[in-house]
Amino acid sequence: MGQNDRLQRLETFEAEALGFSGQLFRVALRVCRDRERAEDLVQETYLQAWRSFHRFEMGTNLRAWLYKILFNVYYGGIRRERLELAPIEETIAETIAYDPPTPQHLTEEEVLIALERIPRDFQVPVVLADVEELSYREIADALQIPLGTVMSRLHRGRKLLRMELANYARNAGYQIAN
Amino acid sequence: MVMDCHNFKELLDSYLCGELAVETNHTMLCHAERCCSCRNEMAARRLLRESLRRVCSREKMSDHAMENLRTILRSEAGLGAGPARRSDEAGRRSWFAGLFKMRFLMSAAVVAALTLLIIGAWSLYVLRRGDLTNQQKMSRLSPEQIKALELSGSLIAESVGDHRTCAAHFVDATESAEMPDSVRNYDSACVRLDKIAAEGAAGLLLRAAHICDFGERKFAHLVYTRDSRLISLLVTARDSQALKSGQVPPFDGLTLGTQRFTRDHLALGAYQTVKRVILVVSDLSENENTALAERLAKPVAEHLRSAEAKLGLEKRVGRLNLRED
Repeated sequence: MGQNDRLQRLETFEAEALGFSGQLFRVALRVCRDRERAEDLVQETYLQAWRSFHRFEMGTNLRAWLYKILFNVYYGGIRRERLELAPIEETIAETIAYDPPTPQHLTEEEVLIALERIPRDFQVPVVLADVEELSYREIADALQIPLGTVMSRLHRGRKLLRMELANYARNAGYQIAN
Repeated sequence: MVMDCHNFKELLDSYLCGELAVETNHTMLCHAERCCSCRNEMAARRLLRESLRRVCSREKMSDHAMENLRTILRSEAGLGAGPARRSDEAGRRSWFAGLFKMRFLMSAAVVAALTLLIIGAWSLYVLRRGDLTNQQKMSRLSPEQIKALELSGSLIAESVGDHRTCAAHFVDATESAEMPDSVRNYDSACVRLDKIAAEGAAGLLLRAAHICDFGERKFAHLVYTRDSRLISLLVTARDSQALKSGQVPPFDGLTLGTQRFTRDHLALGAYQTVKRVILVVSDLSENENTALAERLAKPVAEHLRSAEAKLGLEKRVGRLNLRED
């Protein structure tokens, strides 16, 4: 491949793929919980994506493809944590039977604190679905887990988030509807 | 499904994500129109989603990191100066970059090549053997049996669709369910479906029992869980809409045993009676699902076959009585 072809190909890649860097970074940040690591993860994701770009079929879902690579790179980095839910976290989520009404009037800071308190295995699907607006199928593909597991983690993750917010609201003296 | 406040709240987040079927969306909106508390909950969850989106969107990659990324890509494409990855720049091995060191790549490449070679040879062997087995199987089936297989196959999309959109919402249900009597209006033979399937369902928890609409098809639907795995038992009409040809093939499904299919990582096992098709759908492996279908759907199929035979007999007796009158 000549230099001009390579340049043209890279420009296409940058034009198509780099627009998603913000979204990838937000998810990387939830996964890594550290800015530098998140930036490294995004960097490595794009590098892998560029190396496989010749296999990508234009017109198909580029964003979902990038998320899949991101989690592949991430899982490759910490293989031991792959798909494993800490048993204690699973137990916590399962024991929540009470689903409180969603409190209103909380600040964005309070919402962020509540989100960060949720175990990562529940937090990441919630961010992918409710912030990044991936479909449940895209989340299952990206995280490489069955669709049923995605739905279950989303259900529990959202419930945990509402619990955190309700506790926060109660402690702060806000009134919660019954 | 009856839309009460509990079901509404269970489905609300999926509604906001646009993951529900059009019919369910409509039922949700009808309920919200009537119920003030659910309407408030809908508004509160919408606000929460917006807050989440705003608060997460504040986090951005630094300009420096973006600039680095472009430089790395140019270097990788053979178009620019040497890499300026943060890891190299800072003189430390990054967490991820360390994985892609040359030494790692070389040894990984050798292992991958060997693994691929072994997997390739094994797949070729299994594929050839599988083809032969299928050909042998197909050659042993009568044309009616093949048609019966096609009929079950044509219900795959709707069964999988119903499992995905409906069953998945009960994965966290905590209460056990019973088939309501109202089912009688749809199919009187399904009224005690939960009891009939109970013996085969040992070890499973029944989480929902109702009549479902998916597309233009109605299903009697039992949703079971085992750990966090979902299993659907579906009963639907063996009618002319099932096949594109519009014709119901003559019945010879009895001798087929469990018909097995896989679609989008979901396994299906099917049985047929003269008037109905019974399907078991789950994300278990095809073999596990087939074994489960054998336990769960076979007694149902037998019950329905005897109910159909009894009905046939009653009709014949009715006709005889009319003639005698």
